[in-house]
Amino acid sequence: MNRRKFLTILGSAGVVSALGTAKVAEAGMHTFPYYADSYGVLHDTTRCIGCRRCEEACNKVNNLPKPEKPFTDLSVTATRRRTTAYEWTVVNKYEMNGKPVFRKLQCFHCNDPACASACFAKCFQKQPDGSVTYDGSQCVGCRYCMVACPFYVPGFQYDEAFDPLVQKCTFCEPRLKEGKLPGCVEACPVDALTFGRRSDLIKVARARIADNPGKYVNYVYGEFDAGGTAWMVLAPAAEGAPVPADSPAQAAPDLKQLGLNTHLGNRPMGELTYGALGAVPMIVAFWPVLFGGAYAMTKRREAISKLEQEKVLKEAREDVAAAVDAAVRKIEETEGEGAAERARRAMTEALKAREAEAACSKHGEDK
Amino acid sequence: MRNGTTLLLLAAMALAGAACLTAWGAGPVVAASLEPTDSGAPSAMVIFPVGEKPNPKGVGMKPVVFNHLIHEKKIEDCVTCHHTGDPVSCTTCHTVEGKAEGNFVTLERAMHATDIARRDKGNTPQSCVSCHEQQLRQRQCAGCHALVKPARNAAWCAVCHTGAPSMSSQQMQQGMAGKLPQAQNEALAAEVALAKKPVEYLTGLQAPYKVVIDALAEQYEPSVFTHRRHVSSLMERISDDKLAQAFHTRPETLCSTCHHNSPLSATPPKCGNCHTTNIDPKNPTRPTLKAAYHLQCMGCHKAMKVGRPLNTDCTTCHKQRAPQRAD
Amino acid sequence: MENHGIVIPTRDKLFNLDPLLRRTPGNILTWIILSVGLIITIIRFTQGIGSVTNLDDNQPWGLWIGFDLLCGVCLAAGGYFTTVACYVMGMKHFHSAVRPAVTTAFLGYGFVVVALLYDLGHPLRLPYMFFFPGTTSVLFEVGLCVATYVTVLFIEFSVAPMEWLAQKFPWLLKWRKLVIRCTILLTIFGVTLSTLHQSSLGSLYLIAPEKLHPLWYSPFMPMFFFVSSMAAGASMVIFEGMFAHKGVHEYMDATHLREADGVVLSFARAASFILFAYFMLKLIDMLVQANIPYLFTGYGAWWLVEMLFFVLMPALLYAKGARDGNVSLCRFASANTVLGIVLNRFNVSMIAFNYNLPSAERYFPSIWEICISMFVVTMIVTVYRFIVYHMPVLYEHPDFKDEAH
Repeated sequence: MNRRKFLTILGSAGVVSALGTAKVAEAGMHTFPYYADSYGVLHDTTRCIGCRRCEEACNKVNNLPKPEKPFTDLSVTATRRRTTAYEWTVVNKYEMNGKPVFRKLQCFHCNDPACASACFAKCFQKQPDGSVTYDGSQCVGCRYCMVACPFYVPGFQYDEAFDPLVQKCTFCEPRLKEGKLPGCVEACPVDALTFGRRSDLIKVARARIADNPGKYVNYVYGEFDAGGTAWMVLAPAAEGAPVPADSPAQAAPDLKQLGLNTHLGNRPMGELTYGALGAVPMIVAFWPVLFGGAYAMTKRREAISKLEQEKVLKEAREDVAAAVDAAVRKIEETEGEGAAERARRAMTEALKAREAEAACSKHGEDK
Repeated sequence: MRNGTTLLLLAAMALAGAACLTAWGAGPVVAASLEPTDSGAPSAMVIFPVGEKPNPKGVGMKPVVFNHLIHEKKIEDCVTCHHTGDPVSCTTCHTVEGKAEGNFVTLERAMHATDIARRDKGNTPQSCVSCHEQQLRQRQCAGCHALVKPARNAAWCAVCHTGAPSMSSQQMQQGMAGKLPQAQNEALAAEVALAKKPVEYLTGLQAPYKVVIDALAEQYEPSVFTHRRHVSSLMERISDDKLAQAFHTRPETLCSTCHHNSPLSATPPKCGNCHTTNIDPKNPTRPTLKAAYHLQCMGCHKAMKVGRPLNTDCTTCHKQRAPQRAD
Repeated sequence: MENHGIVIPTRDKLFNLDPLLRRTPGNILTWIILSVGLIITIIRFTQGIGSVTNLDDNQPWGLWIGFDLLCGVCLAAGGYFTTVACYVMGMKHFHSAVRPAVTTAFLGYGFVVVALLYDLGHPLRLPYMFFFPGTTSVLFEVGLCVATYVTVLFIEFSVAPMEWLAQKFPWLLKWRKLVIRCTILLTIFGVTLSTLHQSSLGSLYLIAPEKLHPLWYSPFMPMFFFVSSMAAGASMVIFEGMFAHKGVHEYMDATHLREADGVVLSFARAASFILFAYFMLKLIDMLVQANIPYLFTGYGAWWLVEMLFFVLMPALLYAKGARDGNVSLCRFASANTVLGIVLNRFNVSMIAFNYNLPSAERYFPSIWEICISMFVVTMIVTVYRFIVYHMPVLYEHPDFKDEAH
């Protein structure tokens, strides 16, 4: 039995929490690159001309429905579009330091994807080739992946009644397996998309920045963002800007204009939940002890108070009995035995009646 | 020159010139023939790598012959170079080791630095290289120089670091100590400056008239590239540019923007020899043939602010091919 | 003991549907809402989620998650809160409040699951999470805990229907006896599960720090959700009690009526403490995260409204109400708290979520989503009424009266 299967079985048995975090702890120690030989794509926005050939190719190779406006209509790039279930990649025009810059949006194929971390039915998988794939056959349709994705990528087929699925760029995984390039990369007329091993692409990106001082913002978006992504972006620097320093803080305003968020941190998004998930076994372990202890204390307190009450009652009863005895003896001395017997009977009856009354009212209170 | 009058005039001028040369040209003072500057500064001077450390063997970088005349004509204000406002020679403050007067900025940096921080107040200094790089952003240069960054190799250094052929090693030592007499310095410089001859470039007439780019024709008809027109237009724009003349040191230099990465030649190899139609697994970052064409054409057009054609208007360059039958 | 005419179903007349079928304005409204809901349900399950909701790719979770799930689960916290107070802490005078609280909690959770089925793309695949467990997912933990807790609540609640049906099927008594013997186990199991999933509902949003406004996003969201759920639990007991006293007063026995005010005041005192603690936690978190500059924005004002009028104010009202023995003030405070909890969950899931998107891309629920949410609430109320009319929830069944618990 392998480890995954073991976990699966435990998971379904509901004892998962402790082991779940064990796995999480292991996930927290991933070093980058996640898969050393995985592929990626470098998107050089200084080259992109916004021709939408990539969109057209994506639509074609993935057999997506034809859009309303043809791909030759380039005016749509001016509106802010996002990827949807039927458009896995879109090219948008951004105003960057007063100049139009085009950027292609698609799944970034994170090294440690937030969607995969968020999916509770294990639909998403980071493949060794770098792609993040989705298996719709076990998708429950909860859309937590869409909440989790920091890049607003996955789209959902809201119009589909019976088999609605989450859809996103697949990195053309089937084509990669056939040894072909992703559709968009192949279609790009200016090689704004460079396909290669992720580790090489980072070198290429750094080289381009170094060889063309003043041309690029000195930041390879996706190298570390959100724990690193397979698809990375180079952005053009503002014209006449001083040679950029190495500070990401300086790059942030430029990249923001390009719709790129540099505030995602350099750890996988999923790790943000690991602390909370790590607390699960502690609660499972401590809560029963805590509340069981509280219960035991309550019980013990009740038992002690009951004992004390009985003791007090017993003493009172003994006191009363002694008093009655004394009174009866006194009557016996003064009035004779007959009177004493009557007095004893009367007193005992009066006590019994009182006790019964007390018992009755006490019973009522208990309810 | 179809005008006969012009031809006649030219002939007359040539005759006059020859006459002048024979009359006074053999005079003993060669330096005198450099045009004097407006500011009164020497027309050319040798800039030695002046240093304070003892240097008995006289080892140092080849001195630069600086043509003050040409630069002065190009620049509006002396303070562009003489950034302190005091027109002294550069090596007064900037020496090989740097000294306090020059804020310990070495001569090397003062001449070559490109990462000069902008001064909040006052004049931001320029180095030779930073100013030359700025010139490359002019429209007529930007087309090629957006694509081509001149290699910083020995040839590039040698453009300025010429030295002077007739300079003795004693003069060199004196120069490096900053003790060479002014007159000798100017004489050496003038000799070099006058000897400088512009290069004979290959012209558009030696290049093909039109090139049909058909290697990739699929969705579109082949593109007809007006090769000669492009070359001539580029050459015309920089014909008077002294900076270009100085640095374009080979007849084929201009060709090497597009015909890059191969040895300079009048018959360069085809683009497709290196740029494959599909991605080359051995060189995945090398642009494919289609991208190579587009990046070159669009890159140059964009940098030179050529309005037409639009990047995305494909049919300006290659006509849409009529739908073809599968067979 | 006087039952002032509680209709206790007998062996021969097991059902008491009269009050549900009577032609009263309330019933008519119920029928209307239920039939509209039914129609929308049919549309939803034949035309897809997009046909009835305003959900889009930027806002995949809308009203059905923000209200039905987050608020539903939180407001059903009365179940664990009351059982712990009564059984674990030994506050026996809350005993009459336990069964109504467990009933509403069970219904709350049950219908959370029902509402979830509307929101899921593949509702029938819900059990897949046990076959392909994504153990790194917070949602997996939520799902696991909710599924288990619904079962626990069902077992805890099952005593009432057992007592009802025992007259016809006496063998049910064995089961009942077993459950009662396990009460304390179930209670502790229940509170553990509740702690886990109440807090995990907050953890759900930990993964989206760039989408949720910094005033609401905090690494301590799980704690905030749990602490506020305790306040919600106490408040919901009071809040539901208020309506129960109006609507189904005649099904309460003397014990229940006698203890009701005591329950309100004790719970008010507890809720006051919890709300104060919650307020301080939120305040400290805001300061620690250096969020003061955000207070001067529109969202900051909105955050202050939530904090001052829906956390601090009910805390003060509760404190005053509990001290003066003013039951109606406590009830007002409970309504205030419940509203505040709903507001907080709306803020986290919808209002402050995607705060940096342009307003054109923001979400507002469609009328049909609101109808479905109302439909679910109406279903809860209807089933609650059915239960109250048939089962010994607000009264003690005479057959089982003298058993000590």
